[in-house]
Amino acid sequence: MGADTVLKAENIKKLIGNYEILKGINFSVKKGEFVSIVGASGSGKSTLLYILGLLDTPTEGKIFLENKEVDFSQEKKLATLRNRKFGFIFQFHYLIPEFTALENVMIPMLKAGVDSKRAKEKAEYLLERLGLKDKILRKPYQLSGGEQQRVAIARALANDPLLLLADEPTGNLDSLNTQKVMEIFQELNSEGTTIVMVTHERELTRMTHRVVEIKDGEIVEETTLV
Amino acid sequence: MKGNFFISLRLFFERRRQSVIATLGVVIGTAAFIVMSSMVNGFQKYFLEEALNINGHVKIFVESTFREDRILRKVYKEGVFLVLGAKPKSVKDRISNYREILSKYAKDENVLGITLHLVGNGVISYGVKEKPATFVGIFPELEDKTLRISKYLVKNNLGQLERNKEAVILGIKLAEELGIKDIGKKVVLVSPNGTLHRLKVVDLLKTGITEIDKSRVYLHIKKLQDILGKPNEVNEVILKLKSADLAPVYAKRFTKETGYRAESWQESFKNFLSIFKIQKIITRSVVFAILLVSGFGIFNIIMMTVLEKKRDIAILKAMGYEKRDIILIFSLQGIIIGVFGGLAGNFLSYGILEWLETIKIEVEGIIRAEGFLLDRSISYHLQGFIFAVLVSFLASFYPAYRASRFHPVEVFRSGS
Ligand SMILES: Nc1ncnc2c1ncn2[C@@H]1O[C@H](COP(=O)(O)OP(=O)(O)OP(=O)(O)O)[C@@H](O)[C@H]1O
Ligand SMILES: [Mg+2]
Repeated sequence: MGADTVLKAENIKKLIGNYEILKGINFSVKKGEFVSIVGASGSGKSTLLYILGLLDTPTEGKIFLENKEVDFSQEKKLATLRNRKFGFIFQFHYLIPEFTALENVMIPMLKAGVDSKRAKEKAEYLLERLGLKDKILRKPYQLSGGEQQRVAIARALANDPLLLLADEPTGNLDSLNTQKVMEIFQELNSEGTTIVMVTHERELTRMTHRVVEIKDGEIVEETTLV
Repeated sequence: MKGNFFISLRLFFERRRQSVIATLGVVIGTAAFIVMSSMVNGFQKYFLEEALNINGHVKIFVESTFREDRILRKVYKEGVFLVLGAKPKSVKDRISNYREILSKYAKDENVLGITLHLVGNGVISYGVKEKPATFVGIFPELEDKTLRISKYLVKNNLGQLERNKEAVILGIKLAEELGIKDIGKKVVLVSPNGTLHRLKVVDLLKTGITEIDKSRVYLHIKKLQDILGKPNEVNEVILKLKSADLAPVYAKRFTKETGYRAESWQESFKNFLSIFKIQKIITRSVVFAILLVSGFGIFNIIMMTVLEKKRDIAILKAMGYEKRDIILIFSLQGIIIGVFGGLAGNFLSYGILEWLETIKIEVEGIIRAEGFLLDRSISYHLQGFIFAVLVSFLASFYPAYRASRFHPVEVFRSGS
């Protein structure tokens, strides 16, 4: 295990009932990498991502985060790790409808104990970077789909995550907005953010370093592009 | 922690319609609690205060002053024998050693005053009307020093009893029933042994307590002793204590030490006290029902909020918010509702009480008053507020707990 390995999954299995969704996945991510996971619908991509992001528990296998094994029995610790180490982006933005864009971005920072003034400045900075300078005080319903997703990206970046996990981040966007999100990902990655992105759009994988293909809960192919 | 506060407060103010409805329930519950407590306790406190003012705390007395053999003796002279059981029993119908009692207990640090009575029942008539009454023979000065009866006299003519041996004071309701509207009228007192005595009404007693106002007649003790043919007799000793709560203890002690029957006010007013208790239970039940309904309202609204916000809860958990945080966020909603509802309920009840105080109506029942008798104690306001917060917190806790158990992955999987 290299010193620059951020996350490592070892023989991850997930059973629901007696249906094996994941059948022993071995997978690791290095610092600064941009990895994409592809596969048909129902192949187990989301399930894997949830486990990598400590949102779900593997039936078998181990996860190492920065070379330390994750103890899935300690719920409180898992929550802290999610807060400090991960940024999540989903197909749906999951912004809290009562809150403004700014407040939505502040929420992970407030949990981390950042004082509200600092959190506000940082949220403003992130939203500005994502081209939402004039829209920070809008509620989610006052934003377009692409803008909503960019707010969600800003929120995922709030605590400077070790790893950005994205599950079909462009699944709900038109081609122009998809393009925009991918550009943002590339820019973030070039600045050092490590990203794992699940997608079923093959052409998006061309912008990533490595493509992992899953079929029926198993990794069937791994292609390094750079 | 700060995040939880922020989220909870924002949700409360952003979800205005639900918040207002939930809070309104608490406002009404709190106000009802305060106003009802104030009215019921006001009435009860007033009654007891006045009753104790006029009746004292402990009564040492002997049973019926009426001697069954007296009328027979009038006819048959000494040829009458009264058999009171197998063995002749000495009938105690007076307190012979009242001077001793007086000097002994006057020194007790918990005894504020002692007064002596001769009490007898009889009939009072005015014109063609007749009413039964309780005649209380008093030493006017001693009575007033101990029990402040002059406070309840319409004309403040207590001194007349001392100067004018034919003077009598009537309960105002008794006077009304006899058709007497003012002082100066002559009434006829019929003693138990049939003698008639003309007396002049010099004052009226108005305590507000119907029971007393419609039966009590005060005379100078010397006069009553004459009327009843009991020279120098006393059959009731009344004690005023430092604290009303001491009465049962002292009553017991007096019974033991003097051999006479002593009754605490709690015993004398047993019937009233049990009515009061029932009254309180009814009030509490009503208030409890109101609080229950508002609690249910809060429960419903928070439960709906929680179900509606499943996705938001899931994303909060994904972002690192713990079970604890989620419980706090939603039970804090309940507490906020309780605090706002409790405060508003306090203001509302204050307004209602202020308004009730200005209302003048004739109330007549156990007591007679010209308006609502309110106990404006701050403690009802405080209790109302605490109840409001407590009920709201309890009502929101289960939904908050449920919210904390949502599994983010399940929520994400269930689709948008
Ligand atoms: N709770 C569950 N109970 C039963 N089956 C489940 C459960 N969760 C997931 N599955 C199954 O596991 C398989 C993998 O699901 P997963 O969501 O990981 O697929 P995916 O690759 O993300 O698909 P998509 O591209 O459609 O999002 C599917 O066949 C799904 O039906
Ligand atoms: Mg999926």
